[in-house]
Amino acid sequence: MVALLCLGFGALGLGYVWQKNQVDRLGREIRLREQRLAELRLQNERLRRQLATLYTPRFLEQRVRELNLGLVPAHPSQVWRLPEPQGWPEPRTVAGRTEAGRADPG
Amino acid sequence: MDLGETARQGRAGGGNGGKAALGPGWRGGLGLVGGRWKRRMGENLKSSVQLRRAVVLSLGLTVAFVGLAYRLVDLQVVRHPELVEEARRNREREFLRQPRRGDIVDARGTLLATSVSVRTVCADPVLIGDQQALVARLLAPLLGQSELELQQKLLPRVRWDAETGRAVTNRYVVLARKVPVETWEQIRKVMASLEPPRDSPLPRAEQRFLRQLSRYAVFADPWEDQMRWYPNQSLAAHVLGHVGLREVTVDGVRFLETRGADGLERTLDAQLAGVRGWRVTETDSGRREVVRLRDQDVEPRDGWTVVLTLDAVIQNILESALAEAMQEHRPRNITGIVLRPRTGAVLAMACLPNFDPNRPAEAPEEARRNVILTDHMEPGSTFKIVVVAGALNDGVVRLEDVFDCEHGRFSYGGRILHDHSPYDRLTVEEIITKSSNIGAAKIGMRLGEQRLYEYIRAFGFGSRTGLPLLGEMPGYIPPVQRWYKISIAQIPMGHGVAVTRMQMAMAMAALANGGVLMRPMLVERLEDRQGRVVAAYQPQMVRRVVSEEAARATVRALKTVPTREGTAPRAAVPGYTVAGKTGTAQKAEGTRGYVPGKYIASFIGFLPADQPEVLIAITLDEPQRGYYGGQVAGPVFRKVAERVMQYLGVPPEPSPEEPPVAWAAGESSGRPWVDSRWQQTN
Repeated sequence: MVALLCLGFGALGLGYVWQKNQVDRLGREIRLREQRLAELRLQNERLRRQLATLYTPRFLEQRVRELNLGLVPAHPSQVWRLPEPQGWPEPRTVAGRTEAGRADPG
Repeated sequence: MDLGETARQGRAGGGNGGKAALGPGWRGGLGLVGGRWKRRMGENLKSSVQLRRAVVLSLGLTVAFVGLAYRLVDLQVVRHPELVEEARRNREREFLRQPRRGDIVDARGTLLATSVSVRTVCADPVLIGDQQALVARLLAPLLGQSELELQQKLLPRVRWDAETGRAVTNRYVVLARKVPVETWEQIRKVMASLEPPRDSPLPRAEQRFLRQLSRYAVFADPWEDQMRWYPNQSLAAHVLGHVGLREVTVDGVRFLETRGADGLERTLDAQLAGVRGWRVTETDSGRREVVRLRDQDVEPRDGWTVVLTLDAVIQNILESALAEAMQEHRPRNITGIVLRPRTGAVLAMACLPNFDPNRPAEAPEEARRNVILTDHMEPGSTFKIVVVAGALNDGVVRLEDVFDCEHGRFSYGGRILHDHSPYDRLTVEEIITKSSNIGAAKIGMRLGEQRLYEYIRAFGFGSRTGLPLLGEMPGYIPPVQRWYKISIAQIPMGHGVAVTRMQMAMAMAALANGGVLMRPMLVERLEDRQGRVVAAYQPQMVRRVVSEEAARATVRALKTVPTREGTAPRAAVPGYTVAGKTGTAQKAEGTRGYVPGKYIASFIGFLPADQPEVLIAITLDEPQRGYYGGQVAGPVFRKVAERVMQYLGVPPEPSPEEPPVAWAAGESSGRPWVDSRWQQTN
C-alpha cells in the first residue's frame, strides 16, 4: 500500500515536472515562431515598399524613357471602342470608375 | 571546589619537586593518587574550556540568529511591500505594442503613404566603459553621424539625485531615432563582433567586460517605432500632408510618437493612428522574454487604410503640366484641381511650389501651404458664371438678350468700367464668349443686389467647402448692406469678393452638374488591414443652385469660350467639346490697391461639355510671361485635359462629318469586351 502511494506520488511529481518542461518548451517555440513571424512581416513590408516604388508614375515614366521603347499614350481617336455587353453593369466607385480596372470609358 | 581552587591545587602538587620531597616509599601510592588526581584535574580543565567555548559559541550563534531573524523580519515584514515591488520591477517587463499607422492609397490602390518599422537605438555609457572611441568608430557609418558626436553621446555623465542624495551615472542615452530595422540588424552584428572568443587569452575580467559591451551596451528601445514613408515623394504632398513627433507619457514612460502634422495625415489622424496594445511579461537575466510567464497580451489595433478619390496617375499628369507651366511663366505659385463634377470626387489637386513630405522641414513655409484652400483671391472673370447663371435662372435675361457694352467704357457710381476691347452690342452668350466686364455688370444690375448676393452664397462662396484639410478659408462676400454703389457693377466681374480656388472650381462644377452643387470629396472609404470596408463615403449634394435649364444655357455659353471667337482658343481640346471660362484679375495688395503688373490668371473648364467627365481648374499667381487666363492657364488646361481624357479612356465626341465606324465594327465582332480591351491597349 505504501509502495503504491510512493509510486503514485512519484508519478505525480514526474508528471508535474514533465508538464512544466512542456510549458517551457512551448514557450520557447512560441517565442521562436513570433520572431519568425516578425521577420516575415518585415520582409513583406520591404517587398511592399519595393513594389510601391516600382509602381510610382515617375518611376514608370523614367523606365519608359530609359528603355527607349517609343511608348506614348494612344490618342483617343486612335482607339476603337466597342459596346459593352448588356445586362452586366460593373459596379462603380464614388470616383466614377469601375471596380475591375480602367477599361471604362465613362 | 571552584575552578580557581582546583587549579591552584593542581599547580601545588603537580611539580617534580614535591615528589622528591616525599621520598621513594611514597612514590607508588602517591604516584597513583597523583595520576588520578591529575586526570580529574585535566578533565576539569578541559570541560571548563569546552564549556567556555560552548558558551561563547552559543552566544555567537544566538547573536547571529537574532541578527538573521531581525533581517528576516526586516525583509519579509517591514520592507516587504517595497521589496516585492522592486523584485517585480526587476523581473517584469511591460511593453507597449504600437499599432501600425494606416496607409493612404489612391482610388486604384497605389500606395501614397505607408509606415516603415524603425527602432530607437540607445546605449548604456556605463557598460561602454572607456571604449567610446571604438564603439563610435563602429556605429558612426551605420547611424550616419560623426564619430566625435557619437563619442560625446557615449560619455558617462554623473548627476546628483536629490531624492536618494547619491551621485548617479546615466545608463540610457539615445544615439539615433527612426533607424530602419535593417540598419539595426547591422548594428547588432557589428556589436556582436566585439565578443571575445571562448579561447581568448584576455584576462577574465576583460572578457566579461567585452561580453557585456557586445551584448548589452547598445540596445534598441523595447517599443516599436515607425517612420512615415511617401514613395511618390512630392506627389500630392499638399493633400497628404506630413507627420511629426509628439512626446507622450504612458504609465510613466515617456516616448515620442508619430502623429499627423498637416494635411490628411492630421485631419484623419485618429483613423490612421490605430489603438495601442501592451504586453506584461517576465524576462530572464539575458533580457530574453520568458514566454510561459507572459501575463497580459493585448494586440494593438492597426490604423485604418484611407482610400482617397485621388488618382496617382492623374495627379502626376497635373503636376507635370503645372511644373512645365511654372518653368515657362515663372508665377509665384500655380495650382490645379481635377474633379468629377457629378460626384465632387477630387481626382487630383496640386500646388507648386510643393515639398517632399519625407523631409518637410527642408521646404520653406510658403511651399508647404495648400494655397487652393488657404489663400483668398479675387476671381476675376471666372466669377461671371454666377451672375449669368443666376440671371438665366431668374428669367431676367435669356442668352439671346442684347446688352449695350458702351464701346468698352462705362461710367457708373463715379467710376469707369473698362472692357479689354471696345464692344458695342453683345448678347448674353457673347458677353461670356468675350468676357465683357460691362456686359456682366449690366446683367448684375438687372438681377439686383439682393438676388446676386443670394446666388453668390448659394454657389458656396463665403462658406467652407468642407474638404477634410486644415486651414480652409471661407472667403469673404460682403453682405448687401455693406455694398458700395459700384459693388453691383464690380462683383459680377469678380472684383470686391474674396474666394478660394476650390470654391471657384466647385461653383463651375455645379453648372457642369446641371445646377446641383456637390460637396468636394477626397476620401472614398476607410478599410481595415484585411481590406474590409469600415466606412464608405457617398457623394453629397449641397443644394440645387440653379435649374437644369439655366445650367444648360450657361454651359451653352461657356462652350463658346475655348473657340476662335472666345477668350481661350488655346484651351480647346481636339475631339472634345470644352466648356469653360477664363479669368484675369489684377491683384490688390493691402492699402496699395490694385498693383500694376500683378495678376491672377485662371481657366476653369470641363469636358465633354454635355456629359462632363472631369473639371479642370488652373490658376497662376503672378505669371511673369503673359497674364491673360486664356493665354497662360488655357494651354495648361488643354495639356492636362488631353492626357486625362486619354488616361480615362473617354471616347472623343464624333464630329458630324465622321461616321462612328468603330461602333459598327464592335457590333459585328461577337466578343465585344475582349476586343474592346485589346483595341485599347494596342
